[in-house]
Amino acid sequence: MRDTVLKDILRAAAATLTAFLFYSLVGGVRPALLVILNGFSLIVVTFSTGKGEIFGGVLGAVCGLVQDSFSLGVFGVAGLTKTLLGFWTGYISKRMDVVPFVRNAVFLLIMSTLELLLWVLLSAFALRGHVDFRHGILLLQPFVTALLGSLILAVARRVQARRA
Amino acid sequence: MPLREKRTSFRILIGLVVFHLLLISIQIPLGSQRKLFESAVFFVFSPVQKTAVSAFHSLESAWNNYFDLRRVRRDNQKLKQELFFLSQEKRFLEDRLETFKSEADIRGTLDRFRASLIPARVIGTDSGNFYRSLILDRGSLAGVRPDMAVCDRNGDLVGRTIAPVSLNEAMVQLITDPESSVSVVSSTHKVVGIMSGMPQGNHCFLRYILATSQEEEEGEDLITTGFDKIYPAGIRVARILSIKPTKSVFKEIVVKPYFSYATIDTVAILPRVSGGGE
Repeated sequence: MRDTVLKDILRAAAATLTAFLFYSLVGGVRPALLVILNGFSLIVVTFSTGKGEIFGGVLGAVCGLVQDSFSLGVFGVAGLTKTLLGFWTGYISKRMDVVPFVRNAVFLLIMSTLELLLWVLLSAFALRGHVDFRHGILLLQPFVTALLGSLILAVARRVQARRA
Repeated sequence: MPLREKRTSFRILIGLVVFHLLLISIQIPLGSQRKLFESAVFFVFSPVQKTAVSAFHSLESAWNNYFDLRRVRRDNQKLKQELFFLSQEKRFLEDRLETFKSEADIRGTLDRFRASLIPARVIGTDSGNFYRSLILDRGSLAGVRPDMAVCDRNGDLVGRTIAPVSLNEAMVQLITDPESSVSVVSSTHKVVGIMSGMPQGNHCFLRYILATSQEEEEGEDLITTGFDKIYPAGIRVARILSIKPTKSVFKEIVVKPYFSYATIDTVAILPRVSGGGE
């Protein structure tokens, strides 16, 4: 039991670091990509799938707060949306078969869309109705997250199967 | 799944949600100081960001060095660096020429200005809204403090440093942030107003210009006044794009900042005590 908890903590720390490195590299090299490619969401959905709701929720909270600390927006908005994203991704993926690629992509698309929607609503509330959609490009973010997330999961499953 | 486990999961979820809601609620309305917790997270993670971006740039430059003509590249870099300092000096000189009489004074101040200028590289952007903030790779160890003006490589105003400033990184509030405000004056007709960002996009509003005022014109340049005690006087900021009358007391004036977000990679952090406004 203690081993599992320790492994999960290490896994969450590694996932947060990966998300942050991803965000730093994308932001430092091609800032424009950050509109459609939210590394924190990608890591949260990828790592939460199949890991359960507690792991997903805690990972989402940590990743969201890190994202918030590097933004001038309201601290906690991304934390809240990613907590819910991680929790429900972990919860549903434990109870539903989301292994097939297309089903996985649709599932991640729904989850990421809901997260973006909540983020927009909360930001609009906190920032008095001002959210920059970047001419609608922001709406592509869930599609990119879903596609990349399901690709990463498919590759990870293949590697695991080959090892076994 | 046993009922007890399910309950535990949902208790944790409710705990996390309540924690975030409390965190959000204590910050509204906006504009208050950054919270200690937020600053702590920034302090912990900003060195990681700097390391990652530096490592990438090191790899990138190693690759380029291998393939490029080395001498040409070195000369080019030297010229770029010289141009960077010259642009800052040009702006500074334009401002100071009016004030100083003797050549010795100008030379002495120029030397001090060059020594106190802090060049920095942009290593991060605001994931929530591009036009609000940037992260730089210079912090308190390089002499960066909150409320120092930041200019691009051409000497045009970009924003100001804000807290938290960690040892090797600093956050910059851009002039395009709706929460920012810069005291500016139009270059031809000397109309004074406050410039702040728009909620969306990379343009700004010039505020508090009376509807009865007839002096300002489209295409006119705006420069800093120095009245705000943050931005030194005489820095080029923006150009007036459009002027519309409104039903309120003030006109709606849209301006376009000179700095370009797409090309901003290196910036200069100006010393607080020089530049003319203070």
